[in-house]
Amino acid sequence: MSRMNIRISGLGGQGAVTAAHLLAMAANRDGKFSISNPFFGAEKRMAPAESYCRVGSERIYDRGELVFPDVIMVFHAQVITMQKSYTAPFYSGIKENGLVIINTPTDLLNDEDHQTLEDLNVKVLNHDATKLALEIGKTELSTNMAMIGACAGVTKVVTLKALDGALQERFGKKYVASGGTATLDEAIKKKYAKKELLLKANMDTIIESHRIATEWAEKQDLNLVAV
Amino acid sequence: MNKQVELKHKRVIASTHVKLGEKNRMNQTYTDINDIFFKAEQTPSFLTGSEVIREAIKRASVGTSVAYPITPQSEAAALIGEIYAEGYLDEYFRGESEFAVMGQCAGAAFGGHRVFTTTAGPGTLRAMENFPMWAGARLPIQVCVTCRGVNSPLSIQPDTLEMHYLLETGMMVWHAETAQDLFDFILKGFIVAEQPDVHVPIAVCCDGFFVTHTKDTVELPPVDLTLTPYDPYKNPQPVMDMETSPIRMMRDPFVMKSNYISYATHASWQQEVKAAVERSRKHAVPLLDGLIDTENADQEVLIVGSGTAVSQSREAIRLLEADGVKVGLVKIKTIRPFPYEEIRQVTKNAKHIFVPEFNIAGWLAREIKSTIPDNERVYAGPHVCGGMTMPSEVIVEQIKNHLGMETVKLRM
Amino acid sequence: MSKEKISICEDLADIMPPEYQELVATATFGNQDRGWKDIGSSKELIEQHSLCAGCPESIAFRYILASLPAPEDTVFVGSTGCTSLVFPHVAVHNIHSLFGNQNAIASGLKRALASRFPDVEKDVVVLAGDGATVDIGLDMTMQSWFRQEKFTTICFDNELYANTGGQESGLMQKGFVAKMAPKGKSFEKVRLPEIAREAGCAYIAVLTVSKPNRVEQAIKNAIYVAREIGPTFVQLYTPCILEIGKQSMEGLDEMKDAETIGGRFVQKEYITEEAQKLLDSIKEETKARKKAAKAKKPVNA
Repeated sequence: MSRMNIRISGLGGQGAVTAAHLLAMAANRDGKFSISNPFFGAEKRMAPAESYCRVGSERIYDRGELVFPDVIMVFHAQVITMQKSYTAPFYSGIKENGLVIINTPTDLLNDEDHQTLEDLNVKVLNHDATKLALEIGKTELSTNMAMIGACAGVTKVVTLKALDGALQERFGKKYVASGGTATLDEAIKKKYAKKELLLKANMDTIIESHRIATEWAEKQDLNLVAV
Repeated sequence: MNKQVELKHKRVIASTHVKLGEKNRMNQTYTDINDIFFKAEQTPSFLTGSEVIREAIKRASVGTSVAYPITPQSEAAALIGEIYAEGYLDEYFRGESEFAVMGQCAGAAFGGHRVFTTTAGPGTLRAMENFPMWAGARLPIQVCVTCRGVNSPLSIQPDTLEMHYLLETGMMVWHAETAQDLFDFILKGFIVAEQPDVHVPIAVCCDGFFVTHTKDTVELPPVDLTLTPYDPYKNPQPVMDMETSPIRMMRDPFVMKSNYISYATHASWQQEVKAAVERSRKHAVPLLDGLIDTENADQEVLIVGSGTAVSQSREAIRLLEADGVKVGLVKIKTIRPFPYEEIRQVTKNAKHIFVPEFNIAGWLAREIKSTIPDNERVYAGPHVCGGMTMPSEVIVEQIKNHLGMETVKLRM
Repeated sequence: MSKEKISICEDLADIMPPEYQELVATATFGNQDRGWKDIGSSKELIEQHSLCAGCPESIAFRYILASLPAPEDTVFVGSTGCTSLVFPHVAVHNIHSLFGNQNAIASGLKRALASRFPDVEKDVVVLAGDGATVDIGLDMTMQSWFRQEKFTTICFDNELYANTGGQESGLMQKGFVAKMAPKGKSFEKVRLPEIAREAGCAYIAVLTVSKPNRVEQAIKNAIYVAREIGPTFVQLYTPCILEIGKQSMEGLDEMKDAETIGGRFVQKEYITEEAQKLLDSIKEETKARKKAAKAKKPVNA
């Protein structure tokens, strides 16, 4: 039995919950077992928001807050710099040989952080997802897409084909989301004349991010759990 | 014997219950519950618990649903509104508080509707006065309780403490482990609750977020099948619709003081409500395939739980097995009626019984302790509360500690 | 509609209690012109009451039950208090559930009955005391009016909590010394009729129960308007003779005093334009129907 636990820490409005759902939906499409759930306090813009995606080779029962993740994705610098996180430090509980992907153009970790993660053989990818989102997706709201792409690029936990399918399912038809998420969905849909354009822009962001992350991963001595 | 009553020229008072196989206005076919679950083809869908509640209500021929926002049930309550707008329910509106909502539900049930509502945490407690009233009035209303913290300071996280408060309300209380359970329990719950010899309300509980907000795979029967509608005239009490004779109920109201008859009436009625809940077993057992599920229950070490605690235990059992420790599992599906005899039987050979719970009270451990002989075998834990997650690693650690085994220190 | 719902199976007729036999024989179910004048000549829908001797609430119950336009299709919703002691004696379906939630119960009930019986007008009437209506239940009272729920709310205003022994209530007069108001009530009587108007009631009447014809008219108006237009409210002064220190025979005088000019219960009505039109047309129809019936009758009858 193999299992990959992915913890996503972001801020309200960044699509951390949607990202976990998409990864889980994609894994489901790839024939793996998956489960995803959010964890938030009051549903507010810029408040800490966390979500979890578990992917495995057998049926998954574990749910709730992910205390021992293999992969941590940080969607916003403030998770680290301003401690907008449910756990302190943000990498607490990370397993040996794990992976951290941070949406940032620069290194945000101090020496102690680096040492702790190195001791656990945890690799850190600083990935400028917001820049990619703005360049390709033409909106900051596609940051989560860039992060999913990076996650898939390094871990190969889901295929690009399955991500495409999940994206179609999520944004292509009427989807049920909580109040705040539904409003953001509408906002992003307005940015595009046609839904297809939105889907394409998101997929393009994912693909480019996936390419960059794959290249990075090839240069690392990764020993990540495989599902 | 009574004579046949001449019905010519009279509005028919007796049941006009819709027969099996007929179609409703949504072109769904009224189908026997057994056929829905055990004959119809089931299709896997990847849904959140909230969406699963919507899917269940689509197939439940519900008359009235009343909604009120409270996390984590708000999405489900709003989704029911959407299917009401599509035509699946007769009535739906937002109430002004849980206390009012449960009153509105009672009104609709007194008037003969099948009624569904959802609530959570502080909402459950605000509504609390209504639950024994529902039971006493024998209203088979279903409330889906998506458990969350009830304490101050404010919390929205999962915590099953509110179920403790529901135990002696006279309602049936079922506890879903997963979204699949939730779907099954909602539909099966209506049928069991509405049996004439039961006819009491039912709380179908699930752990908030762990079930409501988690996307999981659920097997669904076709949407063109729906439960046979509620037949109000199978109510053991008169329906409040002036379709049966409005005889004077009693010479002295029960509330009149110093009246032995009054006490006796209340005492016997309370016992009757309790008995009605017990009578639900014979309907629930075949539909739920027993009030408990077991896996390797012949082991010396057993975990007995309900809700998400069962899921976390399943993971813990996998981890323990990898370490060479064999642990059996007992999942309790119905808390009221409580499976007393089943638990006594299944724990007969156990030396250690662990009861993991998502609440500080440890109400399930208390129930089990009061049910089985040699109850020092029961270890009331691990507990988490206040919405904390119960990592399977923690269950493993506590079991090993209790058994005197060496553990790896958890690094968090 | 007639009395078919209460008719007795022949084989059981001899064991049915006499009050039920009377109900079948002479109650006015189905008579659309029923009213307070039937009292004395037909079986009333209230069998007896469990109130104090001389309690004005008891006479209010009799007038209201005699005035219901269609008791055979009327369901009452009560609340905790003195009224809940009377309902068990009433030959109309009635619900007592909790204290203060009467308008919530009625909301669900009315909607369920409307959906189950699309071709029959089922009247729902709330009857509760002032504690239930204004204090513990004000939220649900008002919210049902906001939502424009189509039923009638009747408040028996005795200006205190009578059943629990005379405690201060929101509808009590300012300055009145009562239990829980040992220095006298410190704020004014809650202006419930005005609240009802602002909350959206289409018909509101305030009066005492000293004059049965007035009570009958108010109840009928309220029920007719609730059927067609929206929520209606009737506030009836039913003084608690026990708690204000009156004798059993003094209730009527108390009400008469309260309704004279300058009193707290001078009769008043608030009727929306739409409701007035409806009431006028019903009046015309009734007049025409009665005239036609008279014309049909043989001259020597």
